[in-house]
Formats: sequence, structure tokens, C-alpha cells
Amino acid sequence: MDFLVQGFLTAIELLMSGDAETFSAVYATLAVSAYSLAATLVIGLPLGFCLGYFDFRIKKQVRVVVDTMLSLPTVFIGLLVYAFFTNRGPLGEWGLLFTLPGIAVGLTILALPIVIALSATAVESMDRQLRVALMSLGANRRQIFLSTLWEARLSILAATLTAYGRVMTEVGIAMMVGGNIKWQTRTITTAIALETNKGEFAMGIALGLVLLLIAFGVNASVSTLRKRY
Amino acid sequence: MAASLYSIVNLSHVYRNQPVLKIDRLEIPPGAIVGVIGPNGSGKSTFLKLTGFVEKPSGGEIRYKGKAALPFAPEVRHRVTLMPQEPFLMKRTVMNNVAYGLKIRKDLNDVQLRVHTALSWVGLDPKDFAKRPSFALSGGEAQRVALAARLILRPEVLLLDEPTASIDALSAQLIKDATLKARSEWGTTLIIASHDWQWLYGVCDRVVHLIRGRLMGSGRENIVFGPWARGADGIWSKTLSDGQRVLVQEPPEPHSAAVIDQALITSAEHPTEGGRDRVRLTGLITRLALEKASGEIVGSVLVGNLPFTASLTENEVHTKGLYPGRQVHLFYDMNSVRWF
Repeated sequence: MDFLVQGFLTAIELLMSGDAETFSAVYATLAVSAYSLAATLVIGLPLGFCLGYFDFRIKKQVRVVVDTMLSLPTVFIGLLVYAFFTNRGPLGEWGLLFTLPGIAVGLTILALPIVIALSATAVESMDRQLRVALMSLGANRRQIFLSTLWEARLSILAATLTAYGRVMTEVGIAMMVGGNIKWQTRTITTAIALETNKGEFAMGIALGLVLLLIAFGVNASVSTLRKRY
Repeated sequence: MAASLYSIVNLSHVYRNQPVLKIDRLEIPPGAIVGVIGPNGSGKSTFLKLTGFVEKPSGGEIRYKGKAALPFAPEVRHRVTLMPQEPFLMKRTVMNNVAYGLKIRKDLNDVQLRVHTALSWVGLDPKDFAKRPSFALSGGEAQRVALAARLILRPEVLLLDEPTASIDALSAQLIKDATLKARSEWGTTLIIASHDWQWLYGVCDRVVHLIRGRLMGSGRENIVFGPWARGADGIWSKTLSDGQRVLVQEPPEPHSAAVIDQALITSAEHPTEGGRDRVRLTGLITRLALEKASGEIVGSVLVGNLPFTASLTENEVHTKGLYPGRQVHLFYDMNSVRWF
């Protein structure tokens, strides 16, 4: 039990002293999760809205594919992205292997099905009367689209949070595509894995606590936003 | 005669390959109050959605002021508004819900004042309600807010789908008053589907009866749904909950609906003699309503579990004592029964 207690004490010490290595991992984590979440929302929200809102011939089949993608193993995504970005791969010349943007690409692939599936469900489960009500008040198609999106805002926010939690705590993609390079691509999760392998439990627990603190900060901010709107 | 506001020609609508509405012709003049009555599933809501231009008909044409119009058409989008049966309010404050229509029209002059006026029309105190979130409203209040959101637009046509169903009596009365005020102040045409036929007969210039998606006249027809069975006496009939039989000539199909246009009410103490084809039923008068357009009194008689309606004159009501609660006889001619 001593090493757990020691871990908490070390965590506090690392954070209070502004340990450069720890904060490098925190920066890398925040950077890749921010890049990937931004890309995911830009691509995933419109696709999720369309999937939930419109009826088309192969809608059910598309839904099955998206739902299946929810279970994509992160190691498999890491392998695919690695294969594309390695020097011999089709996108090797982009030079994204072992970089933060490279990790972000992998995390975007991981988060996209989450945002698409959950926002599609959010829009689908909106009251069918919404469209009738908006049309009867004189809304045109664009106004119906924007108002529906606004009405589903809380569910879409929940989808975003779920995706954020997934990318921030991911380890397989970050390890394979990023290479866990100290000061460069070492994220909190890959650092925890490394420190645990080295038997440095205190450092691992400290980094885990930092991850929890970030998660708490994000959720608290979102909760405040929800109350305001 | 004024040109029609609505001209409906060969209108038909289909849901999942099932025909739900078929209207050959219907004209609605501007400023009219038209009531639509009919049992559940008769096509009332579909009729309102189509004439409210929130749904495209499967076939036929709805002309508005002489021009064929469809959903989102500019000539109807800001002029015709429908209040659905379920008062859908957005997850916003009452103020933002009521002001929504103005905002999307970019009509932003005195929005707050206009919202307050609209809320006052439906009996809601603006100071108390304007800032409330929509989820903090009762069913009746939500219905009134939904109506205020439409009244603020000063529509040319206001369509109301069961506006007083499942709300409290005060809310229902306030909704009725506000809609009639819109008609008297702005000449708004009202098309109202409701089970409250007493109200409809009282305020409407015309009441139409929808049965299985088809127009059946003025609403005073009695519709008796099958199944019909041939009795031991060889006569086709439907047995009511109290054992009385509605006798008819042989129906086209056992599940056809019978239409009894004219039924005659007389007091049980002074029965009129029945002829060979004259059927007599006994029931209780449940309601009397004055029809605004004709000045006639419309009586509702409950026979077993089946309500019948019949026209009465004021003199008949007084001399025969045909008041609610009285047991009466109802007569109709078997040969005059139409099939649907």
C-alpha cells in the first residue's frame, strides 16, 4: 500500500513543482486531443446530423457500419495509421509518423464513429413534432437545420464529451503512431504505461491524477455551460 | 361571393401505401371559421398538415388565393400557421419560443412588447411567464404559449388541431377566446379540428365531417361502423352495448360504415309510430348545441354506447321537453341509410 500513498504524494509534488517532463506529457495530451476533437466535430457533426435527420435508402446499412466502427480496436487503428504513414506507406511522404498530428489523425478515426453515432441518435430521438412546429412558424430548410441542431445541443455536447474522454485516455494509437518519444510525442497515457513497466508506480499514479484533473476541469466547464444554456 | 382562399381539388394522401385522405373538392372563403369533426384516425390531422403546408400531398392540388402551393412556398410560409395537437415547445424560455417566428422573419421591432401582448391574449402574465423555461409549464400553459407563438405572427390562416384536448377548462376557454379574437381583429381564417363539436357548432360558419379520410357533409350525419350481422329474423343489424339493434338493409360488406343522415328525436312519453322500415331506438339526450350558421339546435343522443345527432327546432325542444338527461326515442328510415 505504501507505493500508492507515495504515488499521491509524488503527484502533488510533481504538479506543484512544475516538473517539465510531466508538463511536456500534459501538453502533448492536450494538443492531440484538441486537434483530433476539432477535426472530429467538423467532419462528424454534419455527418451525424444527416444520418439522424434524413431518410435514405441505405440508412440502416450505414448505421450498422457506423455502430460497428464504435468497436474498432485502437491497436488496429494504430496499425493502419502506422502502415499509411510509414516511409513505405502511401502517405509516408507527409512525414506524420512519430508526430503529434500523426497521433491526432489516429485519434480522429477513433472518435469519428462516436460523434457520428451519438449525434445521429440525438437528432433521431428529437420529437418528430419539432419539424412540424418549426415549419408551421415559417422556418425555411436552413432555419430548420440550425434550430434542430440547437435543440439537440445537450445530447451533442454529451457526444462530444464522450469522444473527448475516449481520445484523451487512449494509449494504443499514441504508442504505435507516436512512438512514445520523450519531450516529443509522449502523452500522459503512454508515460503511465512506460513508468509502470519501469516499476515507477508513483510517477504513474501522479500522471493518472493529472489526467483525472483535466477530465474534471473539462466536465466542470461543460456543466457550467449546460446550466447557462 | 368572395374568391376562395383555399381551393382543394382531388386532394389525396397516402401513408405507407395506405390511403388516409381523399377530398374531391373543397372551397374555403377568406375569414371563414371552418370546423372539422370526425373520429380518431379519420384524417383530421392529415387534412390540417396538408392545408397548413407542413406536408406535401401525395396527389391533387391545394390552391391558396388561386395559386397552387406546396410546403416552403413563399406565398404561404409566412401567412399560414398550424398549431399541432401536441404543443411542441423548444428548449428555450417562453419569451424565445413566442418570439421565434418573428426572429426568423427578421421582424425585430418591439419584440418584447409584442411577446408580452401575445402572452396576455392567451391569459398568461408576461412578468411571470416570459422568462420561464418551457419545461416549467403545465400542459395547458404550454398549449397557450404555443398559441401565443402563432398569434404574434398575425397569420392569415390559423389551423388548430384539437386545441382544447387534454387541457384544463380555463386554458381551453382562453384558447377559444384568443382564436376568435384573432378572427375578429385581423380577419384570420380559422380551421379547427376538435371533438368539442358543441364549440364548433357554436362558432363555425361551416362544419365538415371527415370519415376515413373522406368528407361526409355537415357533421350531423350519424356514422355507425360495422361489423354487421344478419339476425335470425334475416335482418342485418349491429347490436349496441344495451342490447338495442341498429337495423339496416343488407350492407355491401360486413365491415362497411353506415351513414344515417336524418334521425328524428321525439320524447319517450309521446312516441311517434314506427312504420315497416322505420327503426326506433331509445336513448338519453346528452347535449344540446346551437348551430351558429343555421340557428338550429343540434342534439346528441346516447343510444347504448353510440352517440347520435339530430337537428331540432327551438319549438320542438320546448314543447317536447327535449332537454339533456331526458329519455327519448330516435327514429330513422332503414331505406335512407347510405353506405361508406
